Amino acid sequence: MNLAFEANLSWSPPGSHLKIDVSLRLGAECGILFGASGVGKSSILRLIAGLERPHQGRVRLGDETLFDSTTGVDRPLRHRRIGLIFQDDLLFPHLDVAQNLRFGLKGWGRVEADRRVAEVADLCGVGPLMGRRPETLSGGERQRVGLARALAPRPRLLLCDEPVSALDMAARDVLIDRIRAVQRAEQIPVLYVTHSPSEAISLGSRLFRLEGGKVIDEGPPLDVLARASGVAMEGVHNRFGATVESQGEKGGETILRLDGGPKLIVPSLDRPVGSSVVVRVRADDILLARGSISGLSARNVLPGTVERVIGSGSGSEAEVLVRTGEVAWIVSVVTPAIQALGLCVGVSVEIIIKARSCHVAADDDR
Amino acid sequence: MPTLPDLTPFWLSLRVASLATLLIVVVGVPLALMLARGRFVGKGLLGGLLLLPLVLPPTVLGYGLLVLLSRRSPLGLWLEQTWGVQLVFNWVGAVIASSVAAVPMFLIPARSAFESVDPALEDAARLLGRGEWSVFVSVTVPLAWRGLIAGVVLAFARALGDFGATLMVAGDIPGRTQTASLAIYDAVQVGDTPRAGLLTLLVASISIVALLIAQRTTGDRSKP
Repeated sequence: MNLAFEANLSWSPPGSHLKIDVSLRLGAECGILFGASGVGKSSILRLIAGLERPHQGRVRLGDETLFDSTTGVDRPLRHRRIGLIFQDDLLFPHLDVAQNLRFGLKGWGRVEADRRVAEVADLCGVGPLMGRRPETLSGGERQRVGLARALAPRPRLLLCDEPVSALDMAARDVLIDRIRAVQRAEQIPVLYVTHSPSEAISLGSRLFRLEGGKVIDEGPPLDVLARASGVAMEGVHNRFGATVESQGEKGGETILRLDGGPKLIVPSLDRPVGSSVVVRVRADDILLARGSISGLSARNVLPGTVERVIGSGSGSEAEVLVRTGEVAWIVSVVTPAIQALGLCVGVSVEIIIKARSCHVAADDDR
Repeated sequence: MPTLPDLTPFWLSLRVASLATLLIVVVGVPLALMLARGRFVGKGLLGGLLLLPLVLPPTVLGYGLLVLLSRRSPLGLWLEQTWGVQLVFNWVGAVIASSVAAVPMFLIPARSAFESVDPALEDAARLLGRGEWSVFVSVTVPLAWRGLIAGVVLAFARALGDFGATLMVAGDIPGRTQTASLAIYDAVQVGDTPRAGLLTLLVASISIVALLIAQRTTGDRSKP
């Protein structure tokens, strides 16, 4: 099924000087609309969803035209099959979680609807919340229910409008991991709005950098962000899904297995072996070493290979992408260190991470 | 053995007030929705006109309706010639008069209830594939129901107690258009204290129950 998404949009919000004029193309991948507040990111999502009407332009999803100002095509919202999750979760307060999930499945057969609700509940980690009312849920839980609800009617495009902005770090980690899992499972285009480089890198495969309502750069997130002057890259996080593999023999630590990657030792977790978690490590909390070293207090020393070196716009800092198994780590280093270590593509390095620098979160963290 | 006073006016009042409330809901829900959500020229004027019955003296309102609905008016003539309906000096006229007098009591809470529903929730429902009617029934009404119920109860109580407008339009014909409020006035005029007292007790009880329901509905916000 061809689910490529394409939008050319031209619009000015009433009473604003902003003029949105963008052209976006996306396959079944996660695209990021990146920029400061007021550059038109959320408006673009509203235009695509049909909540606002572009003055000019075209929105195509797969083989279907949803909007075309020249031919007068303007599909009503309810026929667009676009999922949208908002900053504010907008769950229906008078319905419980199961009823919220079922809301978009009107007209489905009972068995089919039950199966789909169970499927999205599992995918978004909201299975245990089914009978709860929205007001009894934490912010992270509400957003995951919002994600599951948007996903239930099998949308052909998922739009996410800064869904983690009101959440604490642990809930952010979990939701971002879930959105990533959803994109993989459903194989649909996802367009995610954020002003956080960290979220952009954790999620996106393509980034559209916006300024004044226009796309001023696009490409792989790390490259675009590295080219952007004025975008602070410190605070970029690595986020990976992981499974609790074992509890350390002497206590005080837990061993995780990253999805498709190496083991990671983290501070002791009160979670059963086999449970799923999300682990987050700041890019500037990771050290790189050439050659084997010993006598370190850091608990994680992982062998890897430099995949890319990306200079930042400011020039004093760079991001190094290091692969260990299927996991690619972003490591922030100062530019002189790149030269001193001779870091370039293909070089073998060791990644050094303190157990305490690994922050772990799970679905049931409130 | 004392005979029980004739309760016909009370039953007529209940019938008139119930039908008036039904009429108010049928006409008032779209109006309240239009005033809450609509963007059109003259919205302020329409909103003001619909609240006029609240500030006009009931006799003035009643006289206006009498002029509008009598056989000498084009509307009254058309109603009689086309449908064979004569509203003036008829209990149906009492329904119309008390509806007009009571409609603001429904519109004020209903409009504010609709305004309090976040339009973004309705958009969320549309994006989940629901049409306008479905959005209204499954999102807007369940979230606005407290205000709507309060409006229904208050409008019913107001219609039940209407005097001036009903008298002007439907007259005071015992057994036909004499509602409880009119019968109480007549009973007091002729010194029939037991009849006035009983009707007052009945009407007052219903009005107090209505007020309690309205208070309970709007007061307890812990449950949606």
